[in-house]
Amino acid sequence: MSNPTDSMSSVRPDLIEKVTGRAEYITDLVVPGMLHGFVVRSPVVHARIVSIDTTAARLIEGVVDVLVGADVASFGRWGVVLKDRPIIAIDRVRYVGEPVAVVIAETVEIAENAAELVDVEYEELPRATTIREALADGAPLIHERHENLEDFYFKGGARPTQNSNVFHTYRSSVGDVDAAEAIAAHVHEDSFTFPAISHFAMEPHTVIADFQGDALTIWAGAQTPTAVQKVLSRLFGLQLAKIRVVVPFVGGGFGGKASVKIEPLVAAASWKVRRPVRVAQSISDSMLTCRRLGAEITIRTAVDAKGRILAKTAKLLLDGGAYSDTGSAVATKSANRIMGPYVMPNLRLEASAVYTNTVPGAAFRSIGGPQAVWAKESHMDNVAAAIGMDPVEFRLINMAGRGERTRPDLRPLDMDMSELVGRVTQSPVFETQGSNRRARGLAVAATDPANTPIANAIVRLKIDGSVSVSVSSIEVGQGAHATMARVAAQTLQQRFSAVTTLRTDTDIAPYDWGTGASRSTVVVGLSVESAALDAADQIFDMVADVWELPKDSLTLVEGGVSTGSEVLTFHQIFHRALGVDSGEVVGRGGITPRSKKGALAESPLFWETSAGLAEIVVDEDTGQIHVPRYASAADVGRVINRVAAEGQDEGAAAMGFGHALFEELEFDDGQPVNATPIDYTIPRITDVPPVFDTILVENGDGPGPGGAKGMGEGAILPVAPAIANALFSTYGIRITDLPMTPEKVWRALQKRK
Amino acid sequence: MLTSPFTFEKPTTIADAIEAVGDSGESMFYSGGTELLLAMKMRVIHTERLVDIKGIPGLDRIVLTDANEIEIGSRCTHKRIAADPVIREHAPALSTLCDNVANVRVRSVGTIGGNLCFGEPHADPPTMLAALNARLVLQGQTGVRFVHADEFIRSELETVREPDELLTMIVFPRPTGPVTYRRFKHGERPSVNVAMAWSMEATSSTIKTARVRVGALGSRPQPLKAVEDALKGRSIADVRPAIEAVLAEALDELDINDDRHGGADYKRHLAGVLLLRNAEEAMTRGKRSR
Ligand SMILES: Cc1cc2nc3c(=O)[nH]c(=O)nc-3n(C[C@H](O)[C@H](O)[C@H](O)COP(=O)(O)OP(=O)(O)OC[C@H]3O[C@@H](n4cnc5c(N)ncnc54)[C@H](O)[C@@H]3O)c2cc1C
Repeated sequence: MSNPTDSMSSVRPDLIEKVTGRAEYITDLVVPGMLHGFVVRSPVVHARIVSIDTTAARLIEGVVDVLVGADVASFGRWGVVLKDRPIIAIDRVRYVGEPVAVVIAETVEIAENAAELVDVEYEELPRATTIREALADGAPLIHERHENLEDFYFKGGARPTQNSNVFHTYRSSVGDVDAAEAIAAHVHEDSFTFPAISHFAMEPHTVIADFQGDALTIWAGAQTPTAVQKVLSRLFGLQLAKIRVVVPFVGGGFGGKASVKIEPLVAAASWKVRRPVRVAQSISDSMLTCRRLGAEITIRTAVDAKGRILAKTAKLLLDGGAYSDTGSAVATKSANRIMGPYVMPNLRLEASAVYTNTVPGAAFRSIGGPQAVWAKESHMDNVAAAIGMDPVEFRLINMAGRGERTRPDLRPLDMDMSELVGRVTQSPVFETQGSNRRARGLAVAATDPANTPIANAIVRLKIDGSVSVSVSSIEVGQGAHATMARVAAQTLQQRFSAVTTLRTDTDIAPYDWGTGASRSTVVVGLSVESAALDAADQIFDMVADVWELPKDSLTLVEGGVSTGSEVLTFHQIFHRALGVDSGEVVGRGGITPRSKKGALAESPLFWETSAGLAEIVVDEDTGQIHVPRYASAADVGRVINRVAAEGQDEGAAAMGFGHALFEELEFDDGQPVNATPIDYTIPRITDVPPVFDTILVENGDGPGPGGAKGMGEGAILPVAPAIANALFSTYGIRITDLPMTPEKVWRALQKRK
Repeated sequence: MLTSPFTFEKPTTIADAIEAVGDSGESMFYSGGTELLLAMKMRVIHTERLVDIKGIPGLDRIVLTDANEIEIGSRCTHKRIAADPVIREHAPALSTLCDNVANVRVRSVGTIGGNLCFGEPHADPPTMLAALNARLVLQGQTGVRFVHADEFIRSELETVREPDELLTMIVFPRPTGPVTYRRFKHGERPSVNVAMAWSMEATSSTIKTARVRVGALGSRPQPLKAVEDALKGRSIADVRPAIEAVLAEALDELDINDDRHGGADYKRHLAGVLLLRNAEEAMTRGKRSR
């Protein structure tokens, strides 16, 4: 335990701003002259737009204009992998909730009232609202053609099937699965499904756009501000340097604010009225903006007589919704993430992403991970049961060790998965009274974050010893800004309180890929570290030059530089070196795939890991599952901020409980059924395990600052299969579709009887 | 989303409030607003004028009358009822119910009157109040009338209250035996709930009468007549077999919507589970109070 004054001075500055109510989110900002937009959305599933009549809306006093598709058709389409998306529906709507008009008015009230007067006539088209319907013979094509943007956002692009609704297929094959299955002692196959799930960030999507001639400023809760900049630059023909994206505090993203969402729509509204325009969505609007991809998964494992895995096959179909967004990457990752930390000499993986007439799919905490791990870890217990082996034992004998590759094209494992299994099974929470050894289920995951090693940072050391850090990472509650400050403080040997991380603003912050894929601490953190070293080097140069001392005799100390015999303050150094009592040094640091002699280039940069052990009690009369105890373990390399790191792990697991027991964004023939915060249930604090153990394994062996690895997306993965496995071993029922609602469990218990 | 424009009034007497709402159909009473404002923001309710009843004194009283009846003012919040000493002493199950309705924000401003008048089928208090044989006092321009809790809700989101009638009070006889309540929910609101109130013979552990209501399954709470009859005059020790003998038949008579809260067969089964659990609790309570 550190002493209290120590810990107060190291409290994340953003948390103090938040608990005192000073923290500014987009809806707290007022841009002079700002108008308000209200989005009119499609009530129909798939239709041709026959006409849009905005006359009545325009007559309302205070309405400035109404944006419709015809205004912006000439700008063409945008996308980050496939260019499939109009700024606003032009002649056709593809899902309920698709924007068809934006009423722009002096106040939100006026805009919303006038929006009721926008009259849109639709002519319904045949629809495909599920994966099955979209793949059926003669299914209506949701997009007639597929235009791939190679290397635009992720390395690579999509592999669409022309004249079909399949917008991406990824295949990976190792060895000879058929031959392995032919000689196997057992081959076991299972099928699972996974629903669409809402991100449910507390702060819905909100954007202010200000178009000024050939320049555009955007205030958005964007996780990837430079992607927003790039898409807007291409779409509106503006120079990157003329587009400024400012990201104040963000009230949760979870991937739902990654890539690009409503920024083009709001920018177009501002373009049309030549004034700043704000669109502040409601949570219900955001539930119609994006969601996690649902999936249908078939998985097959062949084992030898001793229970060793000979081959694994998986076929995953992902429901990408009406526009592709990053669904292709989600599909690819789901195939990679269904492997797990096991030795599989023969592998055949295929994942496809499919358009349907529903809310567009998008990145969501561990893209493709929960879908894949739900199937693979449930399946592992089924295979173990089929061959009469203990499921933990079955995992352990098949686990790949540290340094082993699970697939030739992926970095060898950089952790001991068996260590994590040991840590959760020995967690003290299961030693407590009343714990029932027999009612437990285990699941593990090892995933490959797409942590694109491209980032830059600027660290400026001022004459008074204060330091500013400028990065494009956003502060979304995870503590990235404090982490960057801590890395700079440690590297420069200055107090944490001397360092300020600047609010994200692309006019100031250098290029970074974005905040997601568990990458910021590692990739941006390394950039900050090297920028800080660069700043230090410039200071040392000054001292070496002016005081005529060898550079290697100099070290940084709090407030200045030690020469070995004396401490020179930064003041003294700048004053003597520059002749005036002012100045700063600007340190620059960057990471590219070529940095560290190419050591960062191989994918993944690190393995994101998690093990989860759930203990359950089922009320067999109602089917309700209680999870009294849960242990979660992750290998994070090194903890930089313990409260934040544990919070990330616990938050991810809590989200996992939502996925496991409560959440499903439902569609009935394409109509959203529960896309409101009243009808959609996420877990409350009383719904998550009262006894929860977070175990963070630190071996200091990660690629990030001080040996850190990324984290925050792992703990969501084992929750659902761990609970399902406990249900299977204890109550003899196997649930294959989420969420595991009481009714579903009760029906399964009835069938068993 | 925001409400469409409306005007606002805050009268200080019942008569003024009723007058202000009038019979034009364009005004509505406004209490805690927890249902009303949501519905107005979602634009499923439009009203020209809100008449706030929070300025009327006396509507938030809770008393045990000389007639041995409990009166609860319609403007009492769930929080107020949960903490009230009279309710805690004489109807602790209602106190617990109110302590568990919705979430803390709704409990601290949402009222019992608003809950009843909204007529939402997936609600807790209507089931309990019907089991307690409560009467609701409605006051309109032409006078006061009493409506039994059983008859108050007409259909989903519709009650027998006329738009200009103010629900002023809920009255029920002080319970003379164990009152039990259970609900099952997975999500925001109850999927099914069961309330049971026994009145006991003064000197023995025999049930004089029993009232059993099952809620949230159809538009309004439904009695389980067969169970009530089976319990009448029964000794506490025989309760379980008495219920089990008629349960299947009684449950079969329930009118059950298939909705997002579950299939009819599941919810029918749950009603039986909750009923038996209530009975277990009532038996131990009934014995203890001897
Ligand atoms: C998130 C959420 C969860 C909830 N969960 C539950 C739950 O689990 N169980 C449950 O039972 N309930 C639940 N509720 C409902 C809650 O109990 C009600 O919202 C609340 O009690 C309504 O009271 P109010 O004073 O806010 O009513 P208001 O919203 O002010 O009014 C509701 C309606 O009643 C009318 N009205 C109000 N008072 C009077 C009166 N005295 N006379 C005549 N008409 C009147 C109004 O005109 C309006 O039509 C939930 C509500 C919310 C928002």
